[in-house]
Amino acid sequence: MDVDTVDENETPAESQKAAGKKPLSLPVDDAHPLDLDAITSSYTDRSIVERLVHITAACPAVAVQALQLALDQVFKMRDTNLYFSVRSAYEQCQGNSQGQLPPITEIAPLDQKWIDETAAKNAAEKNKLEVELKTYSSNMIKESIRMAHRDLANYYRAVGDQASALKHYTKSREFCTTSHHVLDMCFSIIELLIEHRNYAHMSTYVFKADAALDATASTARPTGPTAPANSSANRVLTEREKVQSKLDAGLGLSHFGQGQYEKAANFFVKVGPIKSLGTWIGTVIAPGDIAVYGTLCALATFPRPQISSQILNNDGFGAFIEQEPYVRELIEAYMSNRFKDVLGILEKYSTRHAVDPHLGAHIQILIKLITNRALVLFFQPFVSIRLERMSTAFGWTVDELEQHVVALIQSGEIKARVDRQNKILKAKETDQRSVLYARVMKSGEHMASANRKLLLRLRLYVQAPLCNSR
Amino acid sequence: MSQLGLYATALPGSSSLQGPPSLDEFVDYLISETTDTTSLVAQLKASSIKDTRDSFLTAKLSNGKDPLSVLDPERHTIGYLYILCARLHQNSQVPPSTEAIEEFCRRFNPQHARLLPEKVTTLAKGIVGLARKLENPKLALRPLHGLVTRYPISPAHLTTLHPIFLTLCVATQHFTAALPVLETPITTIDMSLSDLTYNDNLVYHYAGGVALGALKRWREAEEFLEICASSPAQVPAAVQMEASKKLVLIQLILYGKTVPPPKYTNPVLQRLLKSSPYGAFIKSYPQQRSQLLKLIEKDIETFTNEKNLGLVRQTIDRAPRWLIRKLTATYLTMGLADIAKEVGIETDDEVRAIILNMIDSGDINASISADGTVTFADQLPQISKADVDRLLKQAQEQSRMLLEMERSMNSNKDYLNKVSHSSLISVDVNTVMR
Repeated sequence: MDVDTVDENETPAESQKAAGKKPLSLPVDDAHPLDLDAITSSYTDRSIVERLVHITAACPAVAVQALQLALDQVFKMRDTNLYFSVRSAYEQCQGNSQGQLPPITEIAPLDQKWIDETAAKNAAEKNKLEVELKTYSSNMIKESIRMAHRDLANYYRAVGDQASALKHYTKSREFCTTSHHVLDMCFSIIELLIEHRNYAHMSTYVFKADAALDATASTARPTGPTAPANSSANRVLTEREKVQSKLDAGLGLSHFGQGQYEKAANFFVKVGPIKSLGTWIGTVIAPGDIAVYGTLCALATFPRPQISSQILNNDGFGAFIEQEPYVRELIEAYMSNRFKDVLGILEKYSTRHAVDPHLGAHIQILIKLITNRALVLFFQPFVSIRLERMSTAFGWTVDELEQHVVALIQSGEIKARVDRQNKILKAKETDQRSVLYARVMKSGEHMASANRKLLLRLRLYVQAPLCNSR
Repeated sequence: MSQLGLYATALPGSSSLQGPPSLDEFVDYLISETTDTTSLVAQLKASSIKDTRDSFLTAKLSNGKDPLSVLDPERHTIGYLYILCARLHQNSQVPPSTEAIEEFCRRFNPQHARLLPEKVTTLAKGIVGLARKLENPKLALRPLHGLVTRYPISPAHLTTLHPIFLTLCVATQHFTAALPVLETPITTIDMSLSDLTYNDNLVYHYAGGVALGALKRWREAEEFLEICASSPAQVPAAVQMEASKKLVLIQLILYGKTVPPPKYTNPVLQRLLKSSPYGAFIKSYPQQRSQLLKLIEKDIETFTNEKNLGLVRQTIDRAPRWLIRKLTATYLTMGLADIAKEVGIETDDEVRAIILNMIDSGDINASISADGTVTFADQLPQISKADVDRLLKQAQEQSRMLLEMERSMNSNKDYLNKVSHSSLISVDVNTVMR
């Protein structure tokens, strides 16, 4: 149980470190809207609490409200550690607010009775499940053992003990008799890993699930007689479609969590119709999240034609975008080169992005990538441009823009040079002919000297004592 | 074979001679015109009783004359060489005069000397030893120079004399004296010409690199050190590690960054280098001078102990130039003050001096206007027809040499054996060779 408390408290701290410049308290006002109701309505159970914990800790403006909502939800659950982490998130925020927020004892006194009751209930159930597992193990009934492990894992998951849950899920694997069971197990593990943001391990289980899926398909086909074979094959296909979306979303999240944005974008845009995510909606991920993650990753890494073909003209992904209308605005602004609007939208929703448990750690990097791309795209058609004009297009000061441009030139993304005295950006012209000549001369000389050295080396080898074999 | 036997066969009419041979007879025999050099060498080599022979060789003639004054270095190279070697021996009581040594080194007959490679090596070592004993190592420079330039068949041949000479040049700081030797790169190795060992090649190229580096001929120094560092070795030698360290520093001076070593370089060296203070230095180069100086502070002792502090300082001094060069890729115009800020130099005047120097040496193409604005222009590579012709000629020369090599390789028995074995085609090598 200790493990869990540490985990809950540390993750936000870590993500703050990763984001570098992320401020301790995020503004929530008209310019930076954050709709708590929308969050509570699009998620369920644990996801709500997790998100609300983040919000409570980071946004003083809505902390009280978020605390109430989170507590409402926690009392419906059975994880006492979660209760404490909600409270500590508020306390942290209150500590940072310099007395502007009421202390926690005033709004939500510690409910010791609930804690004791829940703990007692939990202990009773744990005992019951463990006894069951023992009985089944001694009776050697495979299927029952599997179910006992699974139940125990589900129990641990509910009380927030990730390590034990994972242990029992993996143990249940030994007792799986059909590939369907394996599939179930894999999905449970993936859900668990997503909940705890353990991105690196997710892909393993996605691939295991994929293999299990292949096994189901291949066993299902030959068993059926010839006539209904078609329909069973169809059934298998739709089955696959259903889980495929989950797998894609899982892989997308996994890559996203590890900072591989282009791969992540590729998987996010592949996710099938919203319905196919089934039970994952709300518990693991909201459709709107897929839209936001997918779009941001795509804008940061895809070239323009790919964005239009895979995002704008992709009906499947379009359905997700409908969930978050501002995402469409963002893409349209980007595609029509209104970069000031792009940056404006990103800024407007910065709070919403920063408190997202998956996105929070990456949003600064993504914004930087998108900005860099925008700058490169903007300059592309020009031979020379006044920095002033460029800065108005991006809504920055000239100095800010110059810094960005210089960084891009030095990393080789913009082939241009800055006329610092006159504040002009000029594209580089190269005389290919003379460059070619110079290169030929250089490589010729290089070859000649390499040849000479190799000859000496050859002779050293031929004369055995000269090549040390100590 | 006994001493007696040697002279019994060598000297007609002396077969009745009893007792040890005397120097007089030896010298007389050498002077007699009829002697055939090859057979003389064979006989001298065959007699293995070194000590007694050496002791009689250090004596004086019966008439009290110095045998060296009787013999002529050019005509009696072999005998002269034997006597010199004997008298240069560590415990020798009668060292030869420096004039005699110089005379010999200037006039000896290379063809004869090549028959006795070990003796030549001993001589060279003896000369250095003698000079050291006289506490004037510089004395050895001129004789050794004579040896090293006259003894090899061509300047491209490596001999045992090369490392001895180069080490002496570096030790006495007479770097320019080594230049004529260093000018021709070594490409040929002939074990029959000189009993080379593994270290000779390494030491020669290392010392050569140091000498060239001291003369600030960076490009050549780089090549020498690279050869040393990348020489074949299952276990890298310490001198190769030292060469690698100097090599990277010189590359920083030359290019502002390190060049990846040839693929055949021993990977252990690279690994060791990366984890040394040098690795850290390379990683953060080029930066503003003050930062670099701060960086090396704690390693200064290492650099000093390894005698590389001078090079490190020179690299740091050149850091602003690389930073300015970087700026030319980013900016078209810049104020002197701006540059000074970016590069970390306090005064505009110093920046101006550096930029002017860079323009003069052709590192950058730029102009400074009266108000202190520097305008960078693209560097236009100027290539003349003569350059192209020169390069073409070089290339043709190379391919001709390679073709020749290939032909000789194709007739090499070992090679053919290997090829026919590895391809499992049973070709009778002898038929092929015929």
